[in-house]
Amino acid sequence: MQTAGTIVALSTPPGRSGIGVIRISGERALDLTRALLRDPDFDPDPNHVLLRPVFDPDTQEIIDRALVTFFRSPHSYTGEDVVELSCHGSPPLLLRILDSLLFFGARTAEPGEFTMRAVSNGRLSLTQAEAVRDLIEAHTHAAVRQAARQLGGELSNRLQPVKDKLLEIIVPLESSLEFVEDDLPDDIARNIEQNLSLLSSKIDVMADSFRRGRLLKEGLRVALIGRPNVGKSSLFNKLLSSDRAIVTEIPGTTRDTISEVINVEGIPVLITDTAGVRSSSDRIEQLGIERTRRAIADADLIVAVLDGSQALTDEDGEIVKEASENHCVVALNKSDLESFCINNAQQAGDNLVLVSVSAKNGSGLDALCAEIIRPFSAGSLDEGSFVITNARHYDLLRRTSEALQSSRSLVHQNVSEELILAGLYEALRFLGEITGDTTPEDILSQIFSTFCIGK
Amino acid sequence: MRESFDEDFDVIVIGAGHAGCEAASASARMGCQTALVTISLDMIGQMSCNPAVGGIAKGHLVREIDALGGIMGRVIDRTGIQFRLLNRSRGPAVQAPRAQADRALYRTEMRHVLEFTPNLHLRQGVVTDFVIKAGQILGIKLQDTRRLRAKAVVLAAGTFLNGLIHTGRSTYTAGRAGEPASIELAESLKRLGFSVGRLKTGTPPRLDGRTIDWDVFESQPADERPVPFSFLTETIEQPQVSCHIGYTNEEVHRTIRDNLQESPLYSGQIKGIGPRYCPSIEDKVVKFPEKTRHQLFLEPEGYDTYEVYLNGFSTSLPFELQQELVHKMPGLDQTKIIRPGYAIEYDFVDPRGLTPFLQTSLVKGLFFAGQINGTTGYEEAACQGLLAGINAALSIQGREGFALRREESYIGVLIDDLITQGVDEPYRMFTSRAENRLNLRYDTSDARLSPYGRNLGLLADSDWLRFSARRDRIARIRTTLLETRFKRSDHEYAELSRQIQNDLGDSISLAAVSQLPSVDASLIFNFLPSGVRSSTSLSELETTIGDLLYHGYIRTQQLNNERIRNQSDLPIPASLSFNRVSGLSHEMVERLERIRPQNFGQACRIPGMTPGALSTLLFFLKTSRN
Repeated sequence: MQTAGTIVALSTPPGRSGIGVIRISGERALDLTRALLRDPDFDPDPNHVLLRPVFDPDTQEIIDRALVTFFRSPHSYTGEDVVELSCHGSPPLLLRILDSLLFFGARTAEPGEFTMRAVSNGRLSLTQAEAVRDLIEAHTHAAVRQAARQLGGELSNRLQPVKDKLLEIIVPLESSLEFVEDDLPDDIARNIEQNLSLLSSKIDVMADSFRRGRLLKEGLRVALIGRPNVGKSSLFNKLLSSDRAIVTEIPGTTRDTISEVINVEGIPVLITDTAGVRSSSDRIEQLGIERTRRAIADADLIVAVLDGSQALTDEDGEIVKEASENHCVVALNKSDLESFCINNAQQAGDNLVLVSVSAKNGSGLDALCAEIIRPFSAGSLDEGSFVITNARHYDLLRRTSEALQSSRSLVHQNVSEELILAGLYEALRFLGEITGDTTPEDILSQIFSTFCIGK
Repeated sequence: MRESFDEDFDVIVIGAGHAGCEAASASARMGCQTALVTISLDMIGQMSCNPAVGGIAKGHLVREIDALGGIMGRVIDRTGIQFRLLNRSRGPAVQAPRAQADRALYRTEMRHVLEFTPNLHLRQGVVTDFVIKAGQILGIKLQDTRRLRAKAVVLAAGTFLNGLIHTGRSTYTAGRAGEPASIELAESLKRLGFSVGRLKTGTPPRLDGRTIDWDVFESQPADERPVPFSFLTETIEQPQVSCHIGYTNEEVHRTIRDNLQESPLYSGQIKGIGPRYCPSIEDKVVKFPEKTRHQLFLEPEGYDTYEVYLNGFSTSLPFELQQELVHKMPGLDQTKIIRPGYAIEYDFVDPRGLTPFLQTSLVKGLFFAGQINGTTGYEEAACQGLLAGINAALSIQGREGFALRREESYIGVLIDDLITQGVDEPYRMFTSRAENRLNLRYDTSDARLSPYGRNLGLLADSDWLRFSARRDRIARIRTTLLETRFKRSDHEYAELSRQIQNDLGDSISLAAVSQLPSVDASLIFNFLPSGVRSSTSLSELETTIGDLLYHGYIRTQQLNNERIRNQSDLPIPASLSFNRVSGLSHEMVERLERIRPQNFGQACRIPGMTPGALSTLLFFLKTSRN
């Protein structure tokens, strides 16, 4: 990746729309803008929106009137001079403007380059930068909220008291080790084990929230299977109609009529309605069967739909058997019918999760959704509490926890403090990798302000 | 203007303090004709304040100096009058000896060692300037018009550069009480363009021991089994004395508080920055008002003198006040001060202008070592002197420079910290400054560093033989521990079980027993096979057991280090202009240009470098190599 120069890029998604925003960042941002506006005296106040004509450099004609906003370094997204042009959202127009800027000496930004500059210039911390990415990729409201919280520095805020507590344990230990000739209180390093234990639990709770966090970000894949006429598709449609998801493109899946994303307690769930699984010589049907097999293979959980108003058939039995090799929920459909009897499902098997539903009137759907989520969500976290969504953070928190654990076990064994401290410093380092600080100097400062050291 | 030189040398060392003596000794023993020039030959090896060597981290430095072939350890072993091993109850990694010295004996012993060093020539004189041509050192000028030629010069001027002593309101120039400051030399440095700053330090009053009521104080005796600093010292032969412990009290504190305006530091008279960890008594009383008493140590200055050093009472209050305060302390109510305490300010040069070999970037062939680089402490100075002397010699001999890594020595940590981060207060070594503390054990300094000393020519054949023999013995003990197993049926097993009061499984190796909590090395000693036991010393057994104990921890650290080192060794081209690395803010570029790190690892340690800037730099380095 090149790192020099003034970069430009389209900041809004490609496609026709009302507005397209072009962002320019770098030393020459203003220069380039002046060239584009054919106004060498253009000297905007920062953070003011101005309406200006934009010229084609070849033909000299006006091609658009744009809203121009100048952000003066360092008070901009990247920390450099930034100019944002809000133009009409016509793709050929935007392309022409971008080309003009390139003609004047800009360079197309690499993916993520704006954010990388923001991090380099200290405008965003590493975790905040990751949050930006997460925000852009978020599929549901909850994930958006989570990413926004991280952007707001909430992760750092949560970790700071943990780091402070760790320092409170390290400082007396270190002092008793290094400053043996000084007149330090005797009980200086009491309660270490207790304090470490409290600290470990806090970190473990945060790390555990990752499971849920990952769900928030990446979502769950669920396949509906069942023989024809059990009401699979009706169930599918009914689930969709009560959804509140932001419907977006999910990379890696084909967007066709048999897969949709719904929102279950903030977690994006991709539900795939499948074709029947009979062997068939019909080509079209074979394609459908192929899709079905794939959906089942990819699924995190299978919902086996049975017709609860009839007795179980052999085919039903096969289906349930296949489903229960995965996480599985059995949806006993048509609870609205008089002939519905829950005992019809008894023969399906023991230890099955069974939910009675009606695709017709919607009853039992909430319970079904709850059962779908249950095997994957951690603890008693509600949608509003803070979760870790990032694998990097999860990994670092796990390592922090392990390091603390190893120190804790050493406290028991009565070993010399520097071995205990080794684990604590490791833990501190891992925490620092998440938020980015704490050097040995900090510890020395703490020691000297806490204890009177020095002969 | 004279052009000729009176004498010709390979290396000239300016200053015969702890840095200067190590530098001169090393350079001479490496075969260079070396002159040690000092203002006063009688003050060679003088300890400026506390007549003591060692302690936590400092003791480690002395051991490392010794392992490399330096001389501080041998000198203190012969002149120490109270040896104590600190942290004796804790692991081998953080144990360190500390010894009070007979101040006068230390000087004479140091001079004796130097006089018997081949290629080493002592010269008395005041250095006023350098002779430099085209950025290369040619020699030095002395006040009495002598000119001495040299291919390399090591400046180890201690606190003498523009030294200014404060006692109460009286101020006078001095390098140490009773010795003149180095004024002209200090001005030469400024003229040459060196970045000069100001630091301060202080020293307590010395007392007349005949007027002290010793019974009032708690005695602190020497260790029964004094542990020497040097690997070459078998035992400490000379008689040991005791120190004594006392305390200040509220009355003393009150008097100090009432008279703070008389203290040069608090009145603003002193501009230099002092160290947080050697605070004056004024500092202590002001910063920790809740403490009702501060600890003091009464340390004898020597066998044949009644002078006593009042450790913990560094002060620059006026003499009458010092005397009044002393009288307010029980046991000292009749005590006379024979030398007042004082604060001293002095020039230092920003160490970020040094290469890892302690050579200045401004003048080729000019090396700086010791307090001039912003450190405090004899040990901190000595290890720099050793490295500077070695590198001065190497540079003349056309050999590659010698630097130590952080992972392998405290000396490496110290020098790297200095040249990368600079100092904003006098720099003292602490074990916590080393990320690799577990590896930098006191008792493994020889294993880590003696091979270097040998390669440099600083370890004589006999020294090297001793090192090799020790290394071999430790290896043999290790094998013995691992291979000696006791089964339930063995009578040793029963004995061990009884003593440890634990079940040991069906069979257990001696190595495993040694790792059990609360098992002492002496216990293991008794269970060694007699053939091995007879050639094993308890301390070597302790080292071997320590190796086993730390092995696991160190391995993890080593893995981490390799991971970091792969990146940290990535070189940064000397000609790189950091503003070419776009994506770096002006502030980051400025920091990098200031330090001009030689590799990525060094860049990582520059204070204030953001992770983002480092990633950008790393990315740039990796991609621009292609």
